Amino acid sequence: MRIGLIGIGKMGLLHGGILNAMNDVEICALVDSSKFLLGFAHNLLKIPIYTDYIQMLEQQKPDAVVIATPVFLHVPMALECARRGIPFFLEKPLSLNSQEATPLIAEVEQKNLVTMVGYMMRYSESFAKAKELLDKGVLGNLITFQSTIYVSQLFKTGKGWRYSKQKSGGGVVIGQATHLIDLLQWFMGPPQMVSAHTKHWYSQEVEDFAHAYFFFQNGVAGWMDSTWSMRHHRLLEITIEINGENGNLIVTNDYVKLYLDTPVQGLNSGWTNFMRPDLYKGVEFDVGGTYYTSQDKAFLEAVQSGQSPDSDVQNAYKVQKIVDAIYDSAGKKGSPVSI
Amino acid sequence: MLDKIILGHNQFFGVNHLDSQTGNVKEAYFNDISRILDIIRFSFQFGVHSMMMSTHERAIALSHTLQNEPVLGHELGIYLLVPYIAKYVKQANEKGLVNIIRDSLVGTSFQSKLGMFWRGGLGYLKKDIRGIITTLVDFEIAPFSKLNLKAIFLHDALTDLILSWEAIDVLQLYYEHIEKKYGVIPAFCTKNLPRLLKELKKIGIQNPLVMASINKIGYQVNPSLEAFEKALNDYDVQLLAMSTLAAGYLKPLEAYDYLYALPNIASVVVGVSRKDHAKETFQIIAQHLNK
Repeated sequence: MRIGLIGIGKMGLLHGGILNAMNDVEICALVDSSKFLLGFAHNLLKIPIYTDYIQMLEQQKPDAVVIATPVFLHVPMALECARRGIPFFLEKPLSLNSQEATPLIAEVEQKNLVTMVGYMMRYSESFAKAKELLDKGVLGNLITFQSTIYVSQLFKTGKGWRYSKQKSGGGVVIGQATHLIDLLQWFMGPPQMVSAHTKHWYSQEVEDFAHAYFFFQNGVAGWMDSTWSMRHHRLLEITIEINGENGNLIVTNDYVKLYLDTPVQGLNSGWTNFMRPDLYKGVEFDVGGTYYTSQDKAFLEAVQSGQSPDSDVQNAYKVQKIVDAIYDSAGKKGSPVSI
Repeated sequence: MLDKIILGHNQFFGVNHLDSQTGNVKEAYFNDISRILDIIRFSFQFGVHSMMMSTHERAIALSHTLQNEPVLGHELGIYLLVPYIAKYVKQANEKGLVNIIRDSLVGTSFQSKLGMFWRGGLGYLKKDIRGIITTLVDFEIAPFSKLNLKAIFLHDALTDLILSWEAIDVLQLYYEHIEKKYGVIPAFCTKNLPRLLKELKKIGIQNPLVMASINKIGYQVNPSLEAFEKALNDYDVQLLAMSTLAAGYLKPLEAYDYLYALPNIASVVVGVSRKDHAKETFQIIAQHLNK
């Protein structure tokens, strides 16, 4: 399989490397706006380079494309792939806002195109385990939840596209909390209403802090707190705690801790813990975390089978609408907004 | 002469591959550098005269302290791991790859050429690319270069990224540069041992020093325990075993019964944060080494 890579920054190099390392897959072309990075890459990797992605698509005719560029380029680039019927993997988030993505969704559905968006936490063993347990209904009816996504990243004004609203769509909510929003709706179904607040401190144009309270269609209520300016979080960490009729479940990047009031489906009452070593599975090639490899392999399988994974553009569109509602509510001092 | 036991450093700097909360608790405790030195000195009596150090910001402070220690500064061997990837991932988020490289090259001989590079002079870049790569490596090593360095390991994120792109000459460039400039053992850390050994053999690097996770339960072992064990049997390698206790999940007795039954185990790096744990772990390892 020949894959064109658009964007050779941090994520492009990662996805490109993982895919290139798989059997029978090669990265056939590199596209970027930085001539320096392209020159560097071409010298080391001997792969054809382009500054114009349309030229790459026309000349190389790849079997699939990976798009790992700043958010404002996602929809234009994905649309060109969709128009040519080329399956694509798109880094998250989908778009600057949901309205921008509407023509893309239409084109993808019309062509029945295989797509994937990079919400890779679904492939992390602990979050996958939590999903499995929740789908089994071990907690009974769900009542409330608390969730956070934090990292110690930004403690001064950031340079670059992530902190420019025009290029990124916003700050920590669209750039980071989208991982958590995707997990929440994956676990608990669609939210119905949100009341949110945001705050900026280190960034000028975008928010550094956000807090949102949700009401879900299935009756669950709970909150999400997000910032990239939290001390003592060396790595990006997600924590979700869900409270149900029959107990509670806590899931992080590192473990799932389940507490049941009464035994159910072979699980004992009291605590059952699934720590990282209990859940770990080796992968064909690991760069940067096994969930990236699992995700990228799922993309390859999707291209081969013609069947999109669950984490496709339509799913990412749902996440985008939740993000829109959060920003809408925050702009109205936390006034509740329907989703 | 490769040390057979190397003191691990993760617990001193808030790194924990089991869970991050434990990492934070230990980091808070070891905020006081004298507590780190305490564990280091305590470990000496068990034949542990060296330690792993990644180029973490807090490790720089430790490096300065060690350089000023009359005895420890000379006697403690340092196995350096470059670069500290989490720092660069955050920098990539904050300012992008191009700015990382630009900022690292400021103050070097490439500074005057930076304008040319950004404008895309591919010809210039071709000549200078090896120099840029080695300069970036030197930039990372600089704060630690005056320590008693024994080996310098390339971080698994880079080793494996380079492997994934099949840019094996970069591994060779790294190897030759470390040997020539620093006169210490050039080494690699990896999460993909079988593939790395295959490629290193192809480029003629004999019996390399490689650090990789290996433990009885296969935690952080790729692609599988079976494939890893087979690679140890099939290739010449000096394996520096890490995560031998599966980030604290395994007890030393069973962990090292498993490890020392494998071939090509040249050394083990293990982190300890308490004296009783240090004593138990090092004594069990020593029993295996004395067989």
